Amino acid sequence: MASTKARAPAYRGIARSALLTLPIALWSLLMFTPTFQSSSPNLHIGAVAVIVFMTGLFFMMMRTGSTYRWRRIFFVALGFLFPVGFITQLVAARGTMSIPIERMVSGDTPFCFMVTPSLILPAAFARTIVFPGSILPTASNPHSIAVMIGLWFAFTLVMGKAWCSYACFFGGIEEGFAGIAKRAKIRKLDPRLRLIPWAILLFVVLVSAAIYEPVYCMWLCPFKTVTEFPAVRSLTSALQFVVFIVLFAGLVVVLPFLTKKRTQCGFFCPFGAFQSIFNKINPFEIRFNREKCVDCTLCQSACPTMALSAESIREGKTLLNCMKCGACVDSCKKDAAVWHLKGTEVAVKPERARLLFLYGTWAMATMFGGSVLANSLATTLHLIHWN
Amino acid sequence: MAAIHLYASVAEAFVLGLATGPVCLASCGPVVLPWMLTQPQGLERHGKRLALFLAGRLAGYLSFAVVTWSIGTALPSSWAARPWIYGAVELVLAGALLVYAAGWPHPRCGLVEPIENLVHIDVKPRRPPSGALALGFLTGINLCPPFLVAAVRAAQFSNLGSSLLFFASFFAATALWFAPVLTLSWIRRSPALVTVARMTSLLLAAWYGLSGIRILFERITYG
Amino acid sequence: MRKRIPVVLAYAGATLTLLIAACTPFYLMGAFSSAVARAGLHIDAAYSGGTIARTYQRDGYRIVVYNPVRPHLLQGIEPFVQVVFTPVSALPAVVDERIDLDGDGLNDVHVTFAMDRRPGAKLRGNVVALNANYESLMDVGDESFSRMFVLVNNEVIVRVPFHPAVAKK
Repeated sequence: MASTKARAPAYRGIARSALLTLPIALWSLLMFTPTFQSSSPNLHIGAVAVIVFMTGLFFMMMRTGSTYRWRRIFFVALGFLFPVGFITQLVAARGTMSIPIERMVSGDTPFCFMVTPSLILPAAFARTIVFPGSILPTASNPHSIAVMIGLWFAFTLVMGKAWCSYACFFGGIEEGFAGIAKRAKIRKLDPRLRLIPWAILLFVVLVSAAIYEPVYCMWLCPFKTVTEFPAVRSLTSALQFVVFIVLFAGLVVVLPFLTKKRTQCGFFCPFGAFQSIFNKINPFEIRFNREKCVDCTLCQSACPTMALSAESIREGKTLLNCMKCGACVDSCKKDAAVWHLKGTEVAVKPERARLLFLYGTWAMATMFGGSVLANSLATTLHLIHWN
Repeated sequence: MAAIHLYASVAEAFVLGLATGPVCLASCGPVVLPWMLTQPQGLERHGKRLALFLAGRLAGYLSFAVVTWSIGTALPSSWAARPWIYGAVELVLAGALLVYAAGWPHPRCGLVEPIENLVHIDVKPRRPPSGALALGFLTGINLCPPFLVAAVRAAQFSNLGSSLLFFASFFAATALWFAPVLTLSWIRRSPALVTVARMTSLLLAAWYGLSGIRILFERITYG
Repeated sequence: MRKRIPVVLAYAGATLTLLIAACTPFYLMGAFSSAVARAGLHIDAAYSGGTIARTYQRDGYRIVVYNPVRPHLLQGIEPFVQVVFTPVSALPAVVDERIDLDGDGLNDVHVTFAMDRRPGAKLRGNVVALNANYESLMDVGDESFSRMFVLVNNEVIVRVPFHPAVAKK
């Protein structure tokens, strides 16, 4: 992947950067103030750490003018820490990561946003949710369907497919593995790979509607490996488990390491394809100033999901699956790749577009991802008997 | 009197077909929808393809009607053979999806060439073989529950003609539910869309293939 | 003036995203969640067990019988009837009940199981069908969505499958 270092040692002065960071700092304090009413010192430490962490990263985004490298730090942290907190909670509650059938029939399965596309047709035609969760939160299942879909909808309105760069608590895992090697071992990738998520989306939507089962959850989700999975009690469930492991190892660990791309996100995840549709209604995007672009293809190399093609760059646009991570903008040496607010002129006040995008997105990320980080940190401290 | 009884049975079949048609569409939908997206744009072409598919489906239905009527009152005991038939049909359907919907190499038909840039539509995809009749026939004999319900009823007729008429009436009603598929004809075909549809068909081929293998394996292992 | 309209709309859209972000934790998330909850959706009966048909009161506990669940035609589960015994704390050491599932006044099944209150213990039980509509279950735990004895959240959930001959109807 091409370097995404800041284009200049300092893009903005410290004072001005701090001033621009102030709203985020205040927002973080507001979000985590209720946490200090808890009696858990670990949670207090987690909250303080996250406030400093999120505010610090935003400050660096302002100071350096870069987005991608700072966002990536948050995102990788979220990806690796989320399973820590989640798995610990599962083991504490039921002694295992696996979901026994009794948890499914009692509506205790936490709802994951990735199953959302599979639910649409049965919900639309039969008002049926084909997921073993609960509509409203319960004492044993706060992650109810209504809460999670409400959260997802709010995020989508604000950031479109940037969900995949700022909210998804799985994408950071492969982004972490993609960042390990200095150079990609596999560099030539067939551009048709970016169409696979759409095919999988169509497949899971149709088959889930046919058999009234969340097919992606039951058969194709690699992240079952780091969250929860149906208890292995039959040949079928054993086969499911093997599939999850193989997909995780291949798409989330090995291939990102070899290609330095987010292979699960860009070449497999049907939810990502579904989320791409919402890029059409989101006001923020990345565009290319054709007067400055020299077609060096650094941006294409930098893009973690192949959301750029020679043709799209010639048109001055990204493809629909752009997740607004900022890698292309930060890698462009000619300032041709810019943040853009739809309806305004391209490359006129791109920093304003970036700021407007980042304020909303980082606020949401702090609210959701930040709280996940704080809880996971608290859990980690508890596990190592810190307090 | 016999005529009235026949009309009543045909009406019964039609109503049964209307009621279970959505299930037919849901079960055939995964096969039909991606495959139709690989077909050329245009209502007329789409209509022809859909008509061929439905004709194949009718052939499947009527073939089964003949078999069902022949077995007649021995039908309940023949259900022991159902897993074998079901498994075999799913395997063949998987193969057909691979061959037709995915555009498998054929001496007379070309592969869709890999297209480096899938954003523009100025490169037309080569048309793969249609497979409408084959896919229709295989979905027609796929032993889905509404079909089996009709089969049990059809086996009770005293002559083959009545059984065939019953199935034809049932088929006609279920076929009505496929009309919305024609709306796919208006979607602009691009290499990207056709490629996605083909990839989906490949996934479905894998799904049906593994399902068929699982059914046969369980039958062999557990009896 | 006409050239300014897209720009005005653009900034209006951007401002809206900021407002949504600011309002989400305080109001919007609750509003969106409530809207989903009020949409009239329900969890598929294969998971939820269906709707409650009748309740029988016993000494300290209740037996809740659900309406029969007939899965969608392509779902891979058998039709069943769910019976729930609750609360677990009030159940005797051995539960031995004859239950009318279809509300016709005649008992349909004879359910027996021993309450094992040790942490992590798995429940197993028996169902003897008293007529040809249901299938008997012997020493069953959590076999499948259609046939189970499970203990969860202060309830014992029993699922009795229909007899195959009846299920095919």
